[in-house]
Order: sequence, then structure tokens, then C-alpha cells
Amino acid sequence: MTASEEYMMSLVGHKFPGGKRTIAHWENFLLTDCTTSPQLKNGLAHPIALFHIPIQGAQTSITELFELGKVKDVGSVGLDGYDWEYFQPLREEVEYRCDGEIIEVERRLTKSGKIYDRFVFSIELYDEENQPVAKATSFWRLRRGRVES
Amino acid sequence: MKVEVGTQIPSLEIPSVDAQKMKTMAALLRDPYPIHWDAEGNEKMGIKGKVVNQGPLNLSYLVNMLMQWQGQDCIRRLTVDFTGWVLGGDGLSASGKVIEIHGDADTKLARCEIWLERQGERLLEGEAIIALPVN
Repeated sequence: MTASEEYMMSLVGHKFPGGKRTIAHWENFLLTDCTTSPQLKNGLAHPIALFHIPIQGAQTSITELFELGKVKDVGSVGLDGYDWEYFQPLREEVEYRCDGEIIEVERRLTKSGKIYDRFVFSIELYDEENQPVAKATSFWRLRRGRVES
Repeated sequence: MKVEVGTQIPSLEIPSVDAQKMKTMAALLRDPYPIHWDAEGNEKMGIKGKVVNQGPLNLSYLVNMLMQWQGQDCIRRLTVDFTGWVLGGDGLSASGKVIEIHGDADTKLARCEIWLERQGERLLEGEAIIALPVN
């Protein structure tokens, strides 16, 4: 059964527990290797760490986000976009505090008559001096199928 | 090299997206979505035998292009839309150009259009704000 619109709207404002996350050298090494980039210098973390570090640091997970969005079938989640802001470069071995929430949900209809939910969450990172480091906003598409007549 | 509006960012070619790296990535992200590692299970999506690259990896090719251009700490903002799947084995090209330069005595920023394409088909596009050296 498709998640009700009422339920989906109730997710707006859902705050993640929040917490702290440090990027270990080994995981940054593997992450950077996955991108095919040479390893970065001076303890810099690869900028795409701004996808999973905020999610894990805020004490949520992709699995939990799928559960909240009532995702069921393979292919039912799409990635619409990112808006990532860097106030400082990400670095290895710095403890980041991560706080965030689901900021927007909207039920929409595609041109071909299929329902999907636009699902947007945003997480901010702060360093050990409580200075803002980055903000990651992700836009997901949760596909629900055709409108029943 | 002087950077000005219209300057083309040196492109980055990805000859073939490595499906093995998607498995490592899935583990790092703790991403349970099987489209990234279960090639046979993707039959229902019409891409049996292929796996779908993770969004952050697609973006990483543009990030790597930008870092090669202006340094590893140059990125201030990335705003992107994903418009198509990248599959294992795909050959890609990451490109960009400067569309605006602004700043003051202490900072100089370039707003750039960036895109990732496969044989002319854009799969990811958006903008990046990049810090430039201040003379």
C-alpha cells in the first residue's frame, strides 16, 4: 500500500537524533579511491563525504530514511539532487557535530500520471569549536506508482 | 591562467565506471539499496547485468575535475540535479565553464556551470561555487 499523503506530510520537521562523527583516515582513503581521485593532501577529506557523514553523524541511516519514507521496491527511490555548502573544507580526524531534519515533503504527479513524493532532508555540520563547517541538503524522489481511478 | 567568465574548466574523462568500486562505496555509505551491487536483480528495471552508480560517485567526477582545476580545498557549494543513471562500464566526461565571477578584496569566487555526460547525454548538471586565488 502506498504511504498516505497525510503520513508523508507528518514527516516534515522530523528531527534526527543528532550526534558526532569523525572521518577516519582509512575510510577517507577508500572513499577517495572509489572516486578514482589521487589521495588528498594535508588531511583533507574528499568533498563527497558530505553525503554519508552527515547522515551517519546525525544518527540516522539510509535504511532508516527508506523506512520513514516507506520505500519498498527496487527502483522506487530516485535521487533528484543535492545542495551542498562548504564553509570549511572537510578534514580527517575532526569530530563533527551533526544536526538535521526532514525539511520538505510534497506529493507530486509526473507527466505520465505517476505519483511520487519529493522528500528533502538537511543536515548541518559543526566543528569542535561549534563553528559551522558544511550543510548538506538532499532531494529524493520516492516513487508511488499510478493514480488509481 | 586567468579565469574569467566563459573560461572552460579542463574536462575530466572517466573511461569506464568500475562496478567494483560501487560495492566498496555501498559498504562505506551503509547503503542497502541493491541496484548498486545486484546486477541480476536489476532485471525488473530493464538493466539486467548492470549496476547503477551511487549519486555521490557521479558527483565525485565533477568534484575531481574542480579540484584538479583550482585545488583540493576550492569548493564552496555544489547544487546539482541528477537527470539519468550512470551504469557500470559507462564512459563519462565531466565538464564545466565559468558563468560569473564575484567577490571582494579578500575573496574571489567563480560560479560555474558543471555537467557530467555520456556520449553527449547529460546525466548530472548544476552549478558549483569555487574559490579562486586572490591576487
